[in-house]
Amino acid sequence: MIKKKNKRAKRIRLFLFLGLLLFLFTTLVVSTVGRQEFSGPHKLALEILGTAQYSVSRVTGSLRKIWLDYTALIAVRDENARLREELKKYKAANNTYREAVATNIRLTKLLEMKEYIPDPSITAEIIGVDPSQWFKTIIIDRGSGDGIQAGMPVISAEGIVGQVVNTSPNFAKIILATDPNSAVDGLVQKNRVQGIVKGGGTSFHMDYVLKDKDVATGDKIVTSGVGGVFPTGIPIGTVTKMEKTGRGMFQEIEITPATDFSHLEHVIIVIKKDPLAK
Amino acid sequence: MVLSFLFLSGTILLILQTTLLNILPEWLGRPNLLFLFVVFLGTSLDLYKGLILAILFGLVMDIFSGIVLGLHPTIYLVLVSLLQFLSRHLVINAPGNQIPLVAASYLLTSGSIFIFATILSPGNRLYWDWGSEILQVLILSVVCIPFFTFFNWLTTIFYSKNANHHFRRQKNGNRFRIN
Repeated sequence: MIKKKNKRAKRIRLFLFLGLLLFLFTTLVVSTVGRQEFSGPHKLALEILGTAQYSVSRVTGSLRKIWLDYTALIAVRDENARLREELKKYKAANNTYREAVATNIRLTKLLEMKEYIPDPSITAEIIGVDPSQWFKTIIIDRGSGDGIQAGMPVISAEGIVGQVVNTSPNFAKIILATDPNSAVDGLVQKNRVQGIVKGGGTSFHMDYVLKDKDVATGDKIVTSGVGGVFPTGIPIGTVTKMEKTGRGMFQEIEITPATDFSHLEHVIIVIKKDPLAK
Repeated sequence: MVLSFLFLSGTILLILQTTLLNILPEWLGRPNLLFLFVVFLGTSLDLYKGLILAILFGLVMDIFSGIVLGLHPTIYLVLVSLLQFLSRHLVINAPGNQIPLVAASYLLTSGSIFIFATILSPGNRLYWDWGSEILQVLILSVVCIPFFTFFNWLTTIFYSKNANHHFRRQKNGNRFRIN
């Protein structure tokens, strides 16, 4: 009995298989020979499967993008670092060129001033300043070995600087014109009114100018050349304040220096034979 | 050896002050390191070494500053003597007392220079600027404690414990004991 049942089941399975095969073959022939459009069931299948495909492809696409962005970022970071280094190098070079241009301009002005002076002169660099705030002195890198003597005038491209007070073989000490102990003979450029220009710490003041003399704000003060210390016509400064009121017969005149002492780097020492201020 | 080391230290400070510190903008102020060092020596050394160094540094200052020779040695000599006197009778070595000590010393020194220079050169008046003086006092007050601490440490490691009698020792216990 059981053997009969098994035989029957096998026969049914065989018929089902052959029937399905025939059906698929017939479908293939019909679809190949007939029109090629999707039918309803095809479309429905496509809809369902297509949606699943779309979702999966979106996810994989995002993952791929993240990976590509990450790998690209490493390269961008390296390039960024390289570009930053290059920029730093070019910035440094730019600064060097700017400094060279500024030095060029400064030294050109110094040279022009040197050519204006009839006496021989020598340039020097400032290597030290006064450690106290009471006096205004500087140390330069030239000394008696270079022909510098005490009393020689010192100027810059902009105007007077001061006078040499002490020397050693390789260095010299200069008292600036702004020092209270400094006194230079000057005159008002427009009308040649003479006076003594004395240091006032950060500026000058001009003494011994009578009240009846015409001095106004903005007037240029230059060296008079009297005494033979400073050459004639070297700029001293500009009048910023003048007062005729008050007791005494002299005006009170304040002068802003022509030389910017806070940014002084190079000076010119005028070489004179037997300077009078010895 | 002691004097050489301290003189060298002071000279280095002076060189720094006249070159490197000059780069600082004027409104920021430039601390007078050598003055601070002289005050340190006046409170740390014994009388004779302090006076010798005061004279030496005063002479060096005369080279770099001003035109009246002898002004700085005189003033530093007076300053160090005064500091020595005060240190014997008062507790001025304590960190909390260093700030007013430095401030008062600086004002005294500045005032002395102003007065002496005016007397010696009456035709060349100096200008007393309260703004810059107060700025300098403030800067020195800020700098003095780390400065003194550093130099105390430097001198301590320079000397062994056996050579401690060359220095005025840090007083422990009875600070009012006179040696």
